[in-house]
Amino acid sequence: MKRSNRSGKKIFGWLFFLAAIGLFSGQGIYFVLENKYTVEYFDNRLFYVINLFIIVFMMLSLFLLLTLEKKGKILISNIAAALILLQAGLMVNHSYETKQVISFSPELDHLLVIKEDSDTGQAAYYRTRYGLLALPKEDLPYQIGGDYKVKWLENDIAAVTYEADEQTLHQYIGTYGARDGGTSYSYVASMSRGQWKGKTAEVTNSSEGITIQYKGETEHYTQENMVQFGTLALVLTENNEAKWTIALNENFKSNSNSPEPPTGEITLYKATMEQNNPISLEYSSATD
Amino acid sequence: MKKIIIGIACIMSIGLLAGTIYFEQSAKLPPPAVQPSVNEQNLQSSPQPEELQPIYEEDPLGYSLQNDQLQITYDRGSSWTEVPLEKEKLFQGEYRGSEQELIPNSYTLNEDRAAFLYTEDNDKNSKRVELLYSLDQGDTWKEAVVQEEYAPLRFRKLDFTSDSFGYVIISSDRTMSQEWTTVYTTSDGGDNWSQTNRPDTTRLIFDGGFVNENVGFLSYGTISPTEPDLYVTQDGGDSWKKSEVLVPEEYKKHFVMAEVPFKEDDHLAILIKQGPSGDYQGGHVKGKFISHDQGRTWEFSKEVDPNETIE
Repeated sequence: MKRSNRSGKKIFGWLFFLAAIGLFSGQGIYFVLENKYTVEYFDNRLFYVINLFIIVFMMLSLFLLLTLEKKGKILISNIAAALILLQAGLMVNHSYETKQVISFSPELDHLLVIKEDSDTGQAAYYRTRYGLLALPKEDLPYQIGGDYKVKWLENDIAAVTYEADEQTLHQYIGTYGARDGGTSYSYVASMSRGQWKGKTAEVTNSSEGITIQYKGETEHYTQENMVQFGTLALVLTENNEAKWTIALNENFKSNSNSPEPPTGEITLYKATMEQNNPISLEYSSATD
Repeated sequence: MKKIIIGIACIMSIGLLAGTIYFEQSAKLPPPAVQPSVNEQNLQSSPQPEELQPIYEEDPLGYSLQNDQLQITYDRGSSWTEVPLEKEKLFQGEYRGSEQELIPNSYTLNEDRAAFLYTEDNDKNSKRVELLYSLDQGDTWKEAVVQEEYAPLRFRKLDFTSDSFGYVIISSDRTMSQEWTTVYTTSDGGDNWSQTNRPDTTRLIFDGGFVNENVGFLSYGTISPTEPDLYVTQDGGDSWKKSEVLVPEEYKKHFVMAEVPFKEDDHLAILIKQGPSGDYQGGHVKGKFISHDQGRTWEFSKEVDPNETIE
């Protein structure tokens, strides 16, 4: 009985030991990749979390593999505790230093990553790579001055609404898919031509621009006031501030190669820091 | 063994500390890109599409086939209009190019008209020849059937000589050096097309065209031609006669392939070029001929170097 206990301890000891070495090597590879390709962990705190696992696994493996005297056990425990405290402390500190927006899509297959340097206020949009890593894609055009909120309009469209320094409101849309098979770059404004009706709003998209009727008010946006993100979403702006986002739902089909009107739905989402829900719109008739 | 394990543990502890210090120092956000100015927000998008480079038809008009989609621009690429046509339909038939550019003469693109000749499968196991065109710079598009049933195209040409009159010349069914060539004309800007009569020959078509709604030409012979083989109609394609090209004796073996005649002052002019193996003065010099009877007979005028301006 005692013998099998001992061999079980040894097996676990070696497993922890190998796991610690594996994670340690992983961190080494991360440094190489970071230097060469400027990739980062999608969440910077992952670095500390992995370090914590290394420390714990190493400590456990030492306890399980070696026959230690009391003095030795105390020494190892103290060193491990000091290292754990250091890593945990730095992780908390890092959370303050770098503001990160990390949000999983409803079906958990896409990840929105925006990291902001709190020294400069500069925020950058990241694309995830190989699971844990992310690559900076582009800077957000405005610095995040105050609050922000994330709303997934569809499983592959994330809308980030944020306030910039000058109390102006902006929207940045992360897109992770395409419509109509995604074989070519397409323009949201021309794909969604027509009149669209929802419960509380109406969108008229014609060659002259996009008109939105909402709560008795009518707003008109011309081509110059439209900012497209990917091939899925369009932000309508006025005086360089975001007003609305129009997104193509997953069931949207433009039917652009046939005389039939588009099918499926589009989503209208107001730019506001207050709690609001996207509005679904259905095609009702054609426009010029 | 104990010493090795403890040694590794020590190395890893030191490595962890060194790595943490390094990470702390490098964790500041790297600047991924130059911060765009406020005005540039209109260019912001993700993922960034490949920027389209116009292939100019006539500056500022151009088109692009990038991303496997035909798009046209009227302002040097500042804005693009998608042509609602699958790219592959533009290249069906005997075409061996890279599909990076449209087949020459298979389209018209100017301020007043964008028109593209293409084929698609019909339900009779053959091809339907069609035209997609827009008269309002791509805002609205119309489709017109040129020919309901046709074999895969070899030669194809589309052009308009006025707002209303246009023509299509196509050929197919090539076997060795013989094929079937047909001509279609429209007199309502492209809505309706009717097939004209054709000359009594099945040689391979080299080129053709109309100078106005009555006078048109078809030039045959692409494989080792020995003399110009030019046919003319003066009644909009109802009847065709062989043109008489009076080539001076010294040029007879050189000038053998007739290009499409064009209007010049009060007469018509045509350039007749050397064959594929022509080597007269480097092979590029052409003969210019003039006709005063609407293309029935042609008289030699002079030698023309294509690098010089034609007068």
